[in-house]
Amino acid sequence: MQKIIKDGAIIDCDLNWIQDQEQAIALLSSDAKASAIIPLTLWLDDEHDTSGVAGFWIDSTQSTEPLADKDLSNVAVIGLNFLAFADGRSFSYARLLRERLNYQGEIRALGNFIPDQLGYLLRVGFNSFQFNESVDIEKALLLHKPFSVAYQGDVADPRPVFARR
Amino acid sequence: MHKYSFFVYSKFAKVAANIICLLSGCSKMYQYDAIDQQIVEERVNQFRDQTQRFLNNELAEAEFLPLRLQNGLYVQRHAPMLRIAIPYGMLSSTQLRKLADISRRYDRGYGHFSTRQNLQLNWPTLESVPDILAELAEVQMHAVQTSGNCIRNTTTDQYAGVIDDEIVDPRPYCEMIRQWSTFHPEFAFLPRKFKIAVNATETADRAATQVHDIGLHIKKNDAGEIGFKVIVGGGLGRTPMIGTTICEFMPRKDILSYLEAILRVYNQQGNRLNKYKARIKILTKALGIDEIRSRVEAEWEFLKGRENTVPEMEFERLQSFFTEPAYQNLNNEPSSLTEKLAQSAGFARWYQRNTFSHKKDGYRIVTLTLKKSGVAPGDATSDQMDIAADLADKYSFGELRVSHEQNLVLADVQQDQLVALWEAAKDAGFATPTLGLLTDMICCPGGDFCALANAKSIPIAQQIQERFSDLDYLYDIGELDLNISGCMNACGHHHIGNLGILGVDKKGEEFYQVSIGGASGHDASIGRIIGPSFSEEEIGSIIEKIVAVYIDKRTEEERFIDTYRRIGIAPYKEAAYAKDN
Repeated sequence: MQKIIKDGAIIDCDLNWIQDQEQAIALLSSDAKASAIIPLTLWLDDEHDTSGVAGFWIDSTQSTEPLADKDLSNVAVIGLNFLAFADGRSFSYARLLRERLNYQGEIRALGNFIPDQLGYLLRVGFNSFQFNESVDIEKALLLHKPFSVAYQGDVADPRPVFARR
Repeated sequence: MHKYSFFVYSKFAKVAANIICLLSGCSKMYQYDAIDQQIVEERVNQFRDQTQRFLNNELAEAEFLPLRLQNGLYVQRHAPMLRIAIPYGMLSSTQLRKLADISRRYDRGYGHFSTRQNLQLNWPTLESVPDILAELAEVQMHAVQTSGNCIRNTTTDQYAGVIDDEIVDPRPYCEMIRQWSTFHPEFAFLPRKFKIAVNATETADRAATQVHDIGLHIKKNDAGEIGFKVIVGGGLGRTPMIGTTICEFMPRKDILSYLEAILRVYNQQGNRLNKYKARIKILTKALGIDEIRSRVEAEWEFLKGRENTVPEMEFERLQSFFTEPAYQNLNNEPSSLTEKLAQSAGFARWYQRNTFSHKKDGYRIVTLTLKKSGVAPGDATSDQMDIAADLADKYSFGELRVSHEQNLVLADVQQDQLVALWEAAKDAGFATPTLGLLTDMICCPGGDFCALANAKSIPIAQQIQERFSDLDYLYDIGELDLNISGCMNACGHHHIGNLGILGVDKKGEEFYQVSIGGASGHDASIGRIIGPSFSEEEIGSIIEKIVAVYIDKRTEEERFIDTYRRIGIAPYKEAAYAKDN
């Protein structure tokens, strides 16, 4: 079974990232929906009853803007996909989810991000990480905190350095 | 040496250096505290681990690439190139000696000062880079974000803090931006690189702020409050553009949140499909300044007034590092100076060109030029770095600056010591009296060193320096910026040279395109290409012909750029392409 890192520990992957819209629609009428992370477009689509899904995922090419007036309190997980690890849009999406939309649930990194980005990912609000299967997750976990101090505020401590000196 | 004893030794050396620094009054720049020091040391460890994993084949080349780039490490024609940051151009003599030492032991005994206040080493081995970084950390230096698609070294005026028409000293603000941008977790993987420059005087713009992704002009409003005019979307490269004002006045307490809003809009909306269309200048042009302003303001609505609002206490803390050194009460133009000016034409020339007026009576700002004919512009040997450090200790409170024009600056020299400094600078090859003249060129390393270049640039610079070696003629021509880039990435800033030369590849042969009319100051403009490119053999004579047109057409008070702006491109074009008879 695939492993993920969640809240600093390695666990079995507990949720099902559904990338295909049709497959996701099919799941909505089954019990499997409780562990499904469905596409954002489907979650936003009023034609379908998406209640009871674990959450949805946002692609790098999308944005958090459609969520501005949505109630996220029942969303257990929001996945953010990395099309390529150098595509840094999801770093902004994570901060917007935490700071602007006050989202308290799990933010899961999906796709092509790499272990060396863990430090930054944690700081902007991600707390779970579903790496590509080729990644050695034990080694990845060692990289989760490259720095013990930072200049900017982040989710762990919103105060910038000048408020901590 | 035993690891522990080395640790003790290096800590002791650091403390000792700081004490010496304090005693000699040279600590007029930012000093790291425990937090700053910890960050650079942890960065060294992180990069050492990344390099080791790459060498062990545990980290793929494609993944290591952006990680090493964020540490200023390129793989170049001959070896990796390491770009070391000199934040806003400030260097202590201790730091410069360390750079001399590093370039001697890990490189081939020289380094290249770039146009953005960095030092580039062209020959280190990849395996040695973590050790180099560890040594830099001992003197509060690093190579953080000197490359890669992140926020780069913040640059400013090399005369910051010592000129009298400055609104305020820009360096505390540069340091504030340095800290905010260093390892910013949200902005490490931007669509493309991002450069910020700060200017604080109405009379000049020595940091070329209008061709930066963000240019900040420090202002005072009618109430006497300090803030910034924010200019966005300038840049060079393939699509050169002058920046546009996005905000006329942003109070200083709000500048970090406003920068964060700009970066957040850019991070989400910049082009990620085509790297040639990825800079914020392209987004700004595509949306129009009004639209990008409204998007930034919409973002800023949520960010302003929150944690990134900078308290007064922090400004005071940052300013406390940049206090005046122990100036003496002296008079301007002491007799030792005026006598020498009358006696020695050589000294008078140097004084006129390479020194600049200081805010404090009896002092002068001196530029040590790195433009000796036959040497690549901006290059300094390790021995020269040591000498410059000694000169800084002896004549300028142990502190130096690095300029956008690739020279070194001693900012606080007593006028009664100028003659002695001139003699010493001459001996070291620092006194070519041509600052601001045609041969004080900006030039990238070019095809001799850089894997990206289409053509060599250093031999072109040398050819032109040789053609214009007659100082009387050079002085008669007067102020003229000539900039050379070996490819359209434009590291040599050819677009904003009054004359620009760009190396191009034509069917495998190196050719050179000439542009005219660029400028980098408050009146910044992009040069126009005069026509088809020239061969390496032709280029020197073409520049001579163009300059001859200026000499012929100018009025008494006109600089090269003024005449061009009055008469247009046609006469220059005609002269450059006229058939020799």
